[in-house]
Amino acid sequence: MPALDTPEIETKDKADLDSVWNVVVHNDPVNLMSYVAMVFRRVFGFPREKAERHMMEVHNNGRSIVWSGCREEAELYVQQLHSHLLLTTLEKAPAQ
Amino acid sequence: MKIGISILQDGGVRFDGIDPLLHKMLSEIRTAAELDDPRVETRFYQSPTHDPDSEDLREDWKAFVQPDLHSAFATSREAVEADLRRSTPDKKGHRSLLIPRNHIDHWLCALNQARLALVEFHGFTEAEMGRQPEDLENPRDYALLQLSIYGLMQEWLVSLLD
Repeated sequence: MPALDTPEIETKDKADLDSVWNVVVHNDPVNLMSYVAMVFRRVFGFPREKAERHMMEVHNNGRSIVWSGCREEAELYVQQLHSHLLLTTLEKAPAQ
Repeated sequence: MKIGISILQDGGVRFDGIDPLLHKMLSEIRTAAELDDPRVETRFYQSPTHDPDSEDLREDWKAFVQPDLHSAFATSREAVEADLRRSTPDKKGHRSLLIPRNHIDHWLCALNQARLALVEFHGFTEAEMGRQPEDLENPRDYALLQLSIYGLMQEWLVSLLD
């Protein structure tokens, strides 16, 4: 009987799982302000005022942290924002 | 040019009186969005992080997320093209365009793709994007007009969803 291959197990380091990750949206001159605010409302369920505040922060400061939390959830948000073509990255929050 | 816009009971939208130039530009959404250029590719398929310790995430993104994005973007372009194919001209060459409710998001996505691709491909600066196009024989000026038309349409569709 052939020997079974040892399954490859990927582990995530505990420190990585415990870290807080920020979802950061960056400014770009092409996406319309109204479109960006609409995407924030859809993806995060933000009320209009909060969505517009983040949109203005992106516009004026070049970036806005729109969500913070565990890495897996943050990845899902980044994926959704990429599907709307917003410039978005995931950043590890500085340790407190 | 006067375009009639009606919101249908089922949430769809109908545009009437689309002249041949506007129809031509709308028909070019797909071509614009599919501009073959590495800058366009990089803009559409972004890296999820700049964190130097997250190479695993970048690799997973390329393997699992980007193919899904690729397919979603293509689906939107196809939906837009199908709606445009259904619009037939009247005697004056003007057309009506019906966007079903469930295609509005596809239009938003395809219009966004086209605008982003045109900007990357032509390397427009922010200042240049505000310039009025003068000579439509000039590809850059023509692209500026496309940007402006696609932006207006996108703005209008966003306001409709509000």
